Amino acid sequence: MSLHYIGKPVLRIDGLDKVTGRAAYTVDINLPGLLHGAVLRSPMAHARIRDIDVSQATHMPGVRAVITGHDVPYTFGGIIKDQPFLAAERIRYAGEPVVAIAAETELQAQNALCCVRVTYEELPAVFDPREALAANAPLLHPKLENYVRNKTYEIIPGTNVCTVRTYSFGDVERGFAEADEIIEDEYYIHAVAHTPMETHAAVAQYFAAKSEFTVWSSTDRPYRMAKEMADAFGVSTNQVRFISMYGGGGFGGKGSLVAEAIAACLARFTKGRPVRVVYSREEEITATQTRHATFFKLKTGVQRDGTFTAWKADIVVDNGAYASWGPDVAARGILTVFGPYRIPNLELLSRLVYTNKQIAGAYRGFGSTQATWACEAHMDVIAAKLGIDPFELRMKNAYVDGDCYINGQMMSRVGLKQTLTSAAQKIGWGQPKPAPNGSKVRGKGIGVTIKPTKTPTASYCFIRVNLDGTVSLLSGAPEIGAGEKTVLAQIAAETIGVPLSVISVPNPDTHYTPYDTAVASSRTTYHMGNAVRMAGLEVRQKILYLAAKALKTDAEKLNLLEGKILDASGSELITLQALLAKALGPMGGSILGEGYYSAEGSPLLASLPGLEGLSSIFWMFATHIAEVEVDVETGVVKVVKVVASHDVGRVINPVSCEQQIEGAVIMGLSNTLFEEFKMEKGRIVNGSLADYKIATIMDLPEIDSMMVESIHEEGPYGAKGVGEPAAAPTAPAIANAIYDAIGVRLNELPITPEKILAALRAKQSNG
Amino acid sequence: MSTSIDFVVNGERQQLQVEPHETLVEVLRERLNLTGTKEGCGVGDCGTCIVLLDGQVVNSCLVLAVDINGREVTTIEGLVGADGLHPLQESFLNKGAFQCGFCTPAMIMSAKGLLDEDPAADEEEIKRALSGVLCRCGSYKKIVEAVKMAREMMRIPQ
Repeated sequence: MSLHYIGKPVLRIDGLDKVTGRAAYTVDINLPGLLHGAVLRSPMAHARIRDIDVSQATHMPGVRAVITGHDVPYTFGGIIKDQPFLAAERIRYAGEPVVAIAAETELQAQNALCCVRVTYEELPAVFDPREALAANAPLLHPKLENYVRNKTYEIIPGTNVCTVRTYSFGDVERGFAEADEIIEDEYYIHAVAHTPMETHAAVAQYFAAKSEFTVWSSTDRPYRMAKEMADAFGVSTNQVRFISMYGGGGFGGKGSLVAEAIAACLARFTKGRPVRVVYSREEEITATQTRHATFFKLKTGVQRDGTFTAWKADIVVDNGAYASWGPDVAARGILTVFGPYRIPNLELLSRLVYTNKQIAGAYRGFGSTQATWACEAHMDVIAAKLGIDPFELRMKNAYVDGDCYINGQMMSRVGLKQTLTSAAQKIGWGQPKPAPNGSKVRGKGIGVTIKPTKTPTASYCFIRVNLDGTVSLLSGAPEIGAGEKTVLAQIAAETIGVPLSVISVPNPDTHYTPYDTAVASSRTTYHMGNAVRMAGLEVRQKILYLAAKALKTDAEKLNLLEGKILDASGSELITLQALLAKALGPMGGSILGEGYYSAEGSPLLASLPGLEGLSSIFWMFATHIAEVEVDVETGVVKVVKVVASHDVGRVINPVSCEQQIEGAVIMGLSNTLFEEFKMEKGRIVNGSLADYKIATIMDLPEIDSMMVESIHEEGPYGAKGVGEPAAAPTAPAIANAIYDAIGVRLNELPITPEKILAALRAKQSNG
Repeated sequence: MSTSIDFVVNGERQQLQVEPHETLVEVLRERLNLTGTKEGCGVGDCGTCIVLLDGQVVNSCLVLAVDINGREVTTIEGLVGADGLHPLQESFLNKGAFQCGFCTPAMIMSAKGLLDEDPAADEEEIKRALSGVLCRCGSYKKIVEAVKMAREMMRIPQ
C-alpha cells in the first residue's frame, strides 16, 4: 500500500491562520455588550472568611455585577467535588478567588475590586505535604468524606490524604533478601507553572429564561468541562455549550475549569451580557494550577550483574488546596516509577496530600514526569554502586516484546531498546570526555521513560463530504497547538482518498461536534485518529457505491484516490466532484460518515485478573541523552546537546513529531534548571515572567530528535503518541550528565547554580 | 482628559481619542480589532505584543497610545502584501516554526525588524533579536531555521 499523506511532512493546516495573525484565541473574542470580569483573591493561605463587604464596589462606575461565594453556592471537581467557584466560608490557598466583578471595562472592574473589604480570620497553614500527613496538622477539608466523589479513588477521612493508593506484585521482602545490594535514596521534583503564552481566559454568556450557558474557552476537553459545569449548576449538558477557540498553549493546565468557572458565575448576574475573563500573568503563575511537587523514597534490591530483585516506592504527592485531577495523577500516573524495567517484586504506597498551596492539576506527563525523574536518577545511583555503565544497566533490564507491565499486561511493539541504542549511537555514548575548558567540565547522562495513555477513553467524529468534493471533519478534539488538526486531516485524506487540501477541520463546539475525552494523555492521534479512519472508510464506501451505481459497475472494481474515481487499471473515470453533482443532482446533499473509537474490550488490555484498569492500549517509550557543560566556578549548567529518541509508533507527520519533541526538550530543560515558585507564608512572590524564568531562544541547545516506529496493532496506520513522554526524560538526563561531569548528584529539583556549588563544596570537604 | 492622536497603522491613517493610560496594544486590539498582536503579560516580559513602530521593534504594551501621534505602526496584519505572504510568513509556514501560534506574530515581527535592518544577520544575531519573545511550546529550533530561510528568500533580487 503506498501512502500519500501518512508519514509525510505536510504543512500544518492551521498554519496560514497562525502566521497571518488571523487565528482567534479566547482572548480575541469580542461580542456586542461584552463586559470584563476581574477577581479579588485571598492574600492568606488558610483562613476563615468573617465578612465580605461589597457595598461600595457595587456602586463604582461601570460595575454591572459583584458576586461572592454566597451567590454561587456550588462546588465542582472532575473527581472530587471539593472546589467552590468562589470561597464563601474558608480560604485554602493564597490566590483563591473570593469576589468577582463584571464591569464595562477591565479598569473599572479592577478599580471596583479595590473597594471590596474582606475580613479574614487567619488559620494555621501547612505547606509541606509530609508535614500535612502529621496527626496534628491543620486540616484543609474536615468533611472530606461528605464530598460527592468518584469512589475508585480512596480517601482517608479525618486527614489531609485525598487519595491513597497501594500496589504490590510478587514478594518484595523476599526480593530484598535475594539482593546483593540494597540501594535506598530520596528524590524530590518541584511544582512548576504551565506558563502558556496565552493566560487562562474565558468568555461566558447566560440566557436565564432557558438556564443556558455559552462558554468560549481554550480548554483541551470541552465536553468534560461542559459536563463538569452542568453537574455543578444542576443543568443538563445541552444547557452548557462550550465553543473551542485556538488554544494558546495548555500543557495540561487548561484541562480544568479555571477562568471558565469565574466567567460562567459572573454571566449569571449580568442580564444576558457576555463576560470576558482574562487572567493576568500574575494570576496565571500564582492562581491557576501547577505540576504536582512529589517526594519519593525508593529502595531497590539488585544482584551484582544488575538484575533487579525488588523495588519499593513510598511517594508523597503535593496536591495543593483542591483535588482537580490529582487523584488520578497519584493513583495511576505515578505508577511508572518502576520504569520500563523487569522487576519481579515490587511495592508502592502513593499518597496525595492537601496543602495550603495553589492547586496542582494535570501537567504534561500526568505523574509520569515525576516518576521518571525519581526512577531515572535512581537508575544512575544503582549503576554507580554496581560499577555498571548506566546505558548497559538500562539495556539489561529494559522491556522487550513479551515482557509484562506491573499488572501483567503483555507488552508488544516495544521500541524502547531501539530508542536507547539510536540515541547512544547518535551522541557517541562511551567516547572519552573532552578535557575541561578552564572551569567548564562536560558530561553526558541518560534518561528513559515509559508512558501509558489513559485507558479506556472514547473519541467520536463525523465526516461530511460536501457536494463539491470538499470534506468537513467534525471532531471534538481542539487544536491546543500540538498539530492535532493536521494529523487528523492527514488520516482523513489518506483513508477517504481525497487531497489534503479539500479537508477542513473546524474548532469543536459541543453543540455540533461529537464527543471526545480530551486532547490529553498523548491520546488524540491514536484515539481520534482511529475514529477518523472509521468515519473515513464509511464515506469512502458510500462514494464508491454511488460511483458504481452511476457508472453501472461494481464498487469493488473502483478506487477513490486524490478525489478521483479510478478503475482497476488506475484510469480516471470521473472526478469526485462530478460524481456527486451527477449522483445527488440539483437537490444537493452530502455524504456522511461517523466514527467511534475506544480501547474498551481490546484483547491487548488483558492483564492479571482485576488489574485491567492499569493496562494501556499503547505504551510510549523514549530515551533522552543530554550533554552538559558545568562551570565549577559559577555552578552554571549549560545544556549543550540533547538527543531525544522516541518510540511513537507510525509517524503520521514527522514535522509535528519533531515540534513536540524539540518543544518538550526545551520545556524539560527549563523546568529543570530555571523554574521554581518562591513563597512567603504560602504566597507566591515571583508572579511575573521576569522573576519566574522560563527558557528563551538563547537557551536552545542542539537538539536531535529521532523517531522509532514500532507499528501498533490497533493504531491508525500503526500510530501511538508523543506529546507527553517527550517532557519526562530531559530532567534526569541533565542531572545524570551533571554527575558524569562533576561527580555530584542532585536529588532535588530544580538544579540551580547555588545547589551545584554547595554540592561541590560538600564533596570537597568530604574529601 | 483624552487626547487626539493621528497615526498610521499598516498603511492606513487612523484618528482616535485616547486616554492617558491607554497602551498601544490596547488600541490595536480593542479599538482597531487588530487582534493578531497578543498581550501575554502587559509588562514587557513576554514579548508577544511586539510590533514595529517606525520600523523599530517595540513591546506595544509598554508604549502609551499618546506617544504614537504622527508615527507609523506595522502589525502582523500588515505583512500580507498584494503578492501574498511575506517571506517570513512563508518560511514560518514551511519550516513548521510554530505550534500554538500565540507568540508567532511577535516572532515574525521581531524577525522582520531584524532583517530589515540587517539582511545578513547570522544565527547568533537572530537568536539575540528574538530573545525578547517567549515561546512555551519551545519552537525555537524551527524558528531560527525559518528566519534563516526567510533571510535567503529576501536576498533574491525581485
